[in-house]
Amino acid sequence: MLPTIFYIGLSAVLFVIGVCGVLLRRSTLMVFMSIELMLNSANLALVTFANQRQSLDAQIMVFFVITIAAAEVAVGLALLVMIFMRKQTTNIDTMTTLKG
Amino acid sequence: MTQIAWLIALIPAFPLAGFLLNVFLVRGERANGTVASLSIVAAFITTVIAVINLAGLAVESRYIAITLWDWLSVGQVTVSFGLWFDPLTAVMALLITGVGALIHIYSITYMHGDSRPGRYFAYLNLFVFAMLILVMSDNLFLLFLGWEGVGLCSFLLIGHWFDRKQVAPNIVPSEAAAKAFVANRVGDAGLLLAMMVIVSHFGTLSFFGSDGISGFVSKLTDASFTTISLGALGNVGLVSGIAFLMILGVVGKSAQLPLFVWLPDAMAGPTPVSALIHAATMVTAGVYLIVRTHVAFDLAPDASGWVVIIGATTALIGATAAVTQFDIKRVLAYSTISQLGFMIAAAGMGAYTAAIFHLLTHGLFKALLFLGSGAIIHGMHDVQDMRRMGGLRKHMPVIFLVYSVGALALSGIFPLAGFWSKDEIITHAWFSAQNVNVTMVLLLSSLLTAFYMGRQVALTFAGEVRDKDAHPHEALGTMKWPLYILAVASVLGGLINLPGVHWLNDWLNPVLHQEAELFTLNMGIFATVTVLLAAGAGYLGYRIYSSPITERLAPGDEDPAHYYLGDIWKGFEMGWGVDYVYQRIFVKPYRTFATFLHDVFDQQAIDGILVEGSAGMVGRFSQAVARLQNGNVRTYALVFLIGVVVLVGYIVIGV
Repeated sequence: MLPTIFYIGLSAVLFVIGVCGVLLRRSTLMVFMSIELMLNSANLALVTFANQRQSLDAQIMVFFVITIAAAEVAVGLALLVMIFMRKQTTNIDTMTTLKG
Repeated sequence: MTQIAWLIALIPAFPLAGFLLNVFLVRGERANGTVASLSIVAAFITTVIAVINLAGLAVESRYIAITLWDWLSVGQVTVSFGLWFDPLTAVMALLITGVGALIHIYSITYMHGDSRPGRYFAYLNLFVFAMLILVMSDNLFLLFLGWEGVGLCSFLLIGHWFDRKQVAPNIVPSEAAAKAFVANRVGDAGLLLAMMVIVSHFGTLSFFGSDGISGFVSKLTDASFTTISLGALGNVGLVSGIAFLMILGVVGKSAQLPLFVWLPDAMAGPTPVSALIHAATMVTAGVYLIVRTHVAFDLAPDASGWVVIIGATTALIGATAAVTQFDIKRVLAYSTISQLGFMIAAAGMGAYTAAIFHLLTHGLFKALLFLGSGAIIHGMHDVQDMRRMGGLRKHMPVIFLVYSVGALALSGIFPLAGFWSKDEIITHAWFSAQNVNVTMVLLLSSLLTAFYMGRQVALTFAGEVRDKDAHPHEALGTMKWPLYILAVASVLGGLINLPGVHWLNDWLNPVLHQEAELFTLNMGIFATVTVLLAAGAGYLGYRIYSSPITERLAPGDEDPAHYYLGDIWKGFEMGWGVDYVYQRIFVKPYRTFATFLHDVFDQQAIDGILVEGSAGMVGRFSQAVARLQNGNVRTYALVFLIGVVVLVGYIVIGV
């Protein structure tokens, strides 16, 4: 194993890329993918520390995160499909009904 | 005793009830007028019954007193709502309720078609109530309540037509009403100060006391040598000081020298109001105050000296001003000022009975003159300028008759009422007070009175109607009976105090302790001379103004005498410039300051900066904040991010 700083650095970079994706992508699907990216960067960090400490606790947390990510994606994509059926577009800037 | 005492409590209760009914329950012009008139008639009948009862009492204890409740108690000073009915009160109350009842009945026709009859009759009743409280109170504080009450009602009634822009050139009713009230108020400050001095030195405001506590009137004699130190200004006698302060109140209420400016403008109100308030009752409150507290004035010769000077000067100012007026009511207004000057001068000279006698007769014939002028105005469809009148003798014969009776009475022609009362005052000035100057001034005023009444009668009734478009008619209605009754009273009024028989003097003796003067041949000769002079002056006035030089007078024309007398005439017309001085010194700067406050301070500073400024700031701030809620999901996500960063940073860095 390489020194942990590389893995944590990679995780941080992936997280930042995910944040930028959430803030800057116009397509809702891309936003979801960025959210997945953020979750996976967290997974990477957890696994790195699990390996470093030779402990199983973090690995179990990873399972939780993956499961929840999958569930959340299911719900999110279902919502996205409903929105697309209404608006015929996934442009996130068109969803402004919370304005005011 | 209690029965009779409750009787006098009823006297002011009737007008109060009329006021409350007219305000809260009664609607409709006829009902308003009837309720108001009935309440005053009831008050008059009650007053007569009370007077009969009073006459049945022994002379030494000829008074009825009742204390209704204790009003204020502060420390040792108690003021109670107490009523006092003695001979002086009796004559005042008879005048107030009697003339008041006639004027209410007259008003029913005069105010027909007015837009606010309920308000008019309600305030007229309130006025009678306040005036009765004034004359019937047993302490100075309650008197002050009545004093202020009549001032208030005067304001409300003068401004009855507050929505009219002007009723005569340069007179706006709402401004005239404010002027009356303010001038009154200036005088009231003096009365208040007098009350404060009395309370602080005597501990009571009650005139004659009750239940063993004596009133301040009896304490005045003991205090006649007490002085008050005014610091660097030296010492002034206590009683003198009280008297001087009261004079200020009298000057305001009774329209005397410095403060008479409100009375001519007060003619902006309806004519019955002028008759009641500014001829018979309110303006006489000052005379009543002096007579009621005459002990103070007897003990303070310097104060009563000033009273005489003020009274005599005002009599002259009023008379000279009345000669020059063209508005029929302004002549009578200045005439009232002049006659009040007579009464005040009489009171200053110590002739209290003569003052009250003149008060009573003047109330009768001045009310007659005002009501007559009201009938003229009514018949000429709201024309008040005498230059448009003339020849009304043919169109309004009844009014001509009663008005002439009033004019003769005012001029002091034998044997009408005014002769007896006015001559008693002038005779007193010549023989008892031995004051040549005052006698001459009063005599001159008397001659001018006859002159201007002759002038007025000529301009109004003689010759032909000058305004070709006028259609005068005589439609009297209920105005007939008050005019007749007052005319008869003006003729017979002198009977109450004929020399030798002097009923009024005997009646008022328990209160005023004055012995009637013996009637001498000198007095008779003096009186004859004055009557002849007055008759001559009146005839002169009538002849000059019914001669051809007045045939073509039109509104806007100058009086023919103006040409001969020059600017003195103008000075007389402006009331010797007193009003002009007040306008320049007080009113204009005050108005300028008020306009400045309104335009600059109020609109720009307060409205602009404080109100709109603070509202604007809040608005702009909320607009800025509202930009956060633009519905853009990405913005919300950014805000999430920032929040998370701050939170985590806080946890990691500083715990």
